[in-house]
Amino acid sequence: MKRVVRAALLGLSLLSQSGFASLGWQWDKWWSDVKMPDFPAFDEYTESPKSYVQIALEHDFLVRVKPWERAVLARHDMAWDPDELEAARRNHTFFSKEASMPGGSAGGGGCGCN
Amino acid sequence: MRRSRRERRRERPALRALTSSAMALLGIAGKASAETAIDHYEASYSFSTYSEDELESSKTIPGGERKRYDIKTQQVSLAAPITEWLDFSMQVTHETMTGASPWYTTPDAAGSPIQIMSGATIEDARNDLNVHANYYTEEGRLGFGGGYSKENDYTAINFGTDGELLFNEKNTTLSGGLGGSFDEIMPTDADLYPTRPKDKSKQSYNGFVGLSQVFDRRTILQGSFTYNWNRGYLSDPYKQVFQVGGVQNYGDFRPNSRHQFAFLYRLNRHIEETESTVHLSYQYYIDTWGLSSHTFELDWYQSFGDAIQISPHIRYYTQNRADFYVPYLRLGQRRPEDMSSDYRLSAYGALSFGLKGEYLFHTPWFRDIEWRLHGSVERYLSSGDLSLSSVSVAAPGLVSFTVFSVGLETKF
Repeated sequence: MKRVVRAALLGLSLLSQSGFASLGWQWDKWWSDVKMPDFPAFDEYTESPKSYVQIALEHDFLVRVKPWERAVLARHDMAWDPDELEAARRNHTFFSKEASMPGGSAGGGGCGCN
Repeated sequence: MRRSRRERRRERPALRALTSSAMALLGIAGKASAETAIDHYEASYSFSTYSEDELESSKTIPGGERKRYDIKTQQVSLAAPITEWLDFSMQVTHETMTGASPWYTTPDAAGSPIQIMSGATIEDARNDLNVHANYYTEEGRLGFGGGYSKENDYTAINFGTDGELLFNEKNTTLSGGLGGSFDEIMPTDADLYPTRPKDKSKQSYNGFVGLSQVFDRRTILQGSFTYNWNRGYLSDPYKQVFQVGGVQNYGDFRPNSRHQFAFLYRLNRHIEETESTVHLSYQYYIDTWGLSSHTFELDWYQSFGDAIQISPHIRYYTQNRADFYVPYLRLGQRRPEDMSSDYRLSAYGALSFGLKGEYLFHTPWFRDIEWRLHGSVERYLSSGDLSLSSVSVAAPGLVSFTVFSVGLETKF
């Protein structure tokens, strides 16, 4: 059994060297909808490789939705705190009755801490 | 090519019409993103009652006071557009509190701590006013706010500024804020109790940064870091520490500085197939009093058509104890510099769960106004057994409470 697994792994590693091209696998079709930059992933002045973060940003990886795709995100229940009064009241209660503080905002005050 | 500001502004009305019609289709236009000032007036009112469970008879002396705190809260909020790029909002809170609160703990015959409650019934009221103004640009939002809170024995005034910057076609939001609060404590009956100071003050300075990212059409993620520095009189004037064989109780002594750090992660996802929205959040908190805590929360917003929404939620909280927490001092024990018998500084865990119902309706016969009527109930249970950290002896004063609330919201 071990021998079969080893042989399979060897075969896989050999195939992967060629990007599975010998099986007719075309990676470029996978990424056909991704716009590649006109220049290689090297900084033209320092010739140092770019970080994955830089490449991701150049590919607009963080532009996930367009304005007309925002109907769901604009839903009332998709807001971080759909009911601001309730959120304020609950945060104040937990702040008064527990030793922690609610994160995610600045300001606020008052005690009511008995 | 860079487009001029005027050109970009010109396309706004079309975009706004598109988004607002999409929002109208969904029944209500929540302020989900910070792209522009609100374009309508918003008013809401809410009433809630908070009542703590009676202390168990095994956790106090026979015949001792067992009733605890009750709070009735009324809240009003108003929001109004000033111009297309400017809006203003305010929140008013009025609370009345009655009841007794934990005073100090003594050992029973077996040595485990029991709670002594404050003798006299506390009657207090708190009034709180908060105002906030926002200025919007194409790239983000800048806000300024302030607040004032007044109780019989407590006055607090706070200022703050916060803002948002939008990147990646408004898919990424960097937010941040700075604030300060200046509080004055004037304990009641200070002349009757030697452990109560007459007039003390404390200040807190805080800041936060957050990053949120739209992941796909129905998922949004956020991570944030909040820092708060408290300084001044941070003790509780109404609490005492008992010593076995002592002549009289000590006061509550806490360090006069506390740095607090909170890391909050949130995820919202809408599930179109079942018309539900899930909110998940986790917070890790740590401070320089040796306290740390974990908070997990899950909210499920289930819509039934356009008008009805039922939302159950569950929250789990666990904290370890502060370095200087002591239920009481043993016979002959040397008095530590800092000490507190406050159950809130002990190790415990808390589980709370709740249910909220919402009903959306229009009044075509009255200006076609949109209304949102809601009611909720929440139950909070805390105990040493629920804690993730080891608890040798749980504080006897740990609180459990129930909150009922109703409210009405409108846009016009």
